[in-house]
Amino acid sequence: MEDVAGEVNLKDLDLTAALRILAHAGRNGPTSSDVEPLAQLQALIDALCELSMHDGLTGLVNSVFFHAALASELDRSFRTGRGCGLILIDLDEFKLVNDTHGHDIGDHVLRAVAIQLRKSLRSMDTAARTGGDEFAVILPECTPEDAVCAATRIHGMLNPLAITTVELSLMVTSSAGLVWTEPGSVIPPKMLLAQADTELYRAKRAGRRRLSHPELVPARLSAAEHAAFVLRGHEEDSHGK
Amino acid sequence: MGNDSRARRYAIVSGKGGVGKTVIAANLATALAGSGLRTLLVDADLGLANLDIIMGINPARTIQDVLAGNFSANEALVRTRGGFDLLPAGSGFFESTLLTPDLAASLENMLKGLDPRYDAVLFDVGAGIGDVVLFFARIADDVVLVVTPEATSLIDAYATVKILALRYGCKNFRLIVNQADPDRPEQSGKMVAARLQQIVSKFLSDKGGNPVRLHFAGALPVDPGIGRAISRQQLLVENDPHGLVASLFPRLAASLRAAPPGSLRMP
Repeated sequence: MEDVAGEVNLKDLDLTAALRILAHAGRNGPTSSDVEPLAQLQALIDALCELSMHDGLTGLVNSVFFHAALASELDRSFRTGRGCGLILIDLDEFKLVNDTHGHDIGDHVLRAVAIQLRKSLRSMDTAARTGGDEFAVILPECTPEDAVCAATRIHGMLNPLAITTVELSLMVTSSAGLVWTEPGSVIPPKMLLAQADTELYRAKRAGRRRLSHPELVPARLSAAEHAAFVLRGHEEDSHGK
Repeated sequence: MGNDSRARRYAIVSGKGGVGKTVIAANLATALAGSGLRTLLVDADLGLANLDIIMGINPARTIQDVLAGNFSANEALVRTRGGFDLLPAGSGFFESTLLTPDLAASLENMLKGLDPRYDAVLFDVGAGIGDVVLFFARIADDVVLVVTPEATSLIDAYATVKILALRYGCKNFRLIVNQADPDRPEQSGKMVAARLQQIVSKFLSDKGGNPVRLHFAGALPVDPGIGRAISRQQLLVENDPHGLVASLFPRLAASLRAAPPGSLRMP
């Protein structure tokens, strides 16, 4: 608790006194002697809020906040008519890292992944640690093409991830599943998560260290499609003559 | 329609402008009404509406007035000489060319209210593949694609089919070939349909084994009578009731009615 709450330590705070001051201040307005305990109480509340949203180890948002953020982004996606991407990332054979090198190294790896994730995101994206070695990224306001581009970049930065400490050096890889919503479509968060999970499973089954996503079918015409119409036109001309 | 409480919705789309979509929509609505169906034609070109002009109608109220909540849909409906109701749209409404979720919800509510009173509802959709165009195509039971034999029309129609098929799972389209060879319209129309189908099959077949199909509904030949009817702001049956093109519309309507609905339903 001391780590996360920063300067404010729960043990140092006389919570009963602070609440008494708070109640008094609420009735009569704060007096000058109340300022410090109130500031401490505020700092503690801030720290607890922070703790409730974030994962203590990596500083990324936690699973609870992630699910709320996903629901709200999907809602926004429907309202704005813009698509939203979701990436699920799972480290390959992370249990082996923990078993072989110990949990400290395991934690080190998780923090390194978080650092890479933060580096590769846009300001509006949300990266979360959703479980032991599971991470998720929400990519709001993007087309399927944007989502694939972002996921490819993120997956590229994580693969492989070199971990170097005084004692050892190891390479960690990860698998990722990407899905997206179609513009204007309504999809419950659970369903999108299940789809992303299926893609992640595909990536794992295909041999790990992969990014899997549904087939990207660009709406714009390819050169071959375009040519099909141009050539037909010429044929008709030559037949006409 | 039998006991079906909901009208069968047809979206008339083309991709390219100027291929005769609006004229076809008005005359098709006339033919559907003539066959005994309670028919509504919605001017779904919310930015640049033309149906009122084609019909020679000066509407007092438009779909934009309804969507703004100033009037009910009933107050905006116009009974036309073709025996169908027209819901006209205003022109130059830039804001209604952008499909916001609010606009989509208002349109859906309005159409839900109108549906039970009709057997057939036609949307005369604008050119292009903008949000509003795709919206009307998505909520229709049948997407009716109007093309001419020209490559520019075909490639725009193809692009429209592609986006509807890939993004919205629309697999069946009805095809009307306009401006077909006047000497052998049916034959030339079928050739155009086969050619387009060939390209569609080549590029748009998915792995799930759900081919995209263009169902040929009929062809309309190049006919100077159409230009005359437009300039007189008349329906073809009014301008030249015994002309070839006017006589083709009842067949076209019958063909569209006969085909089972199911181009696409909203998920």
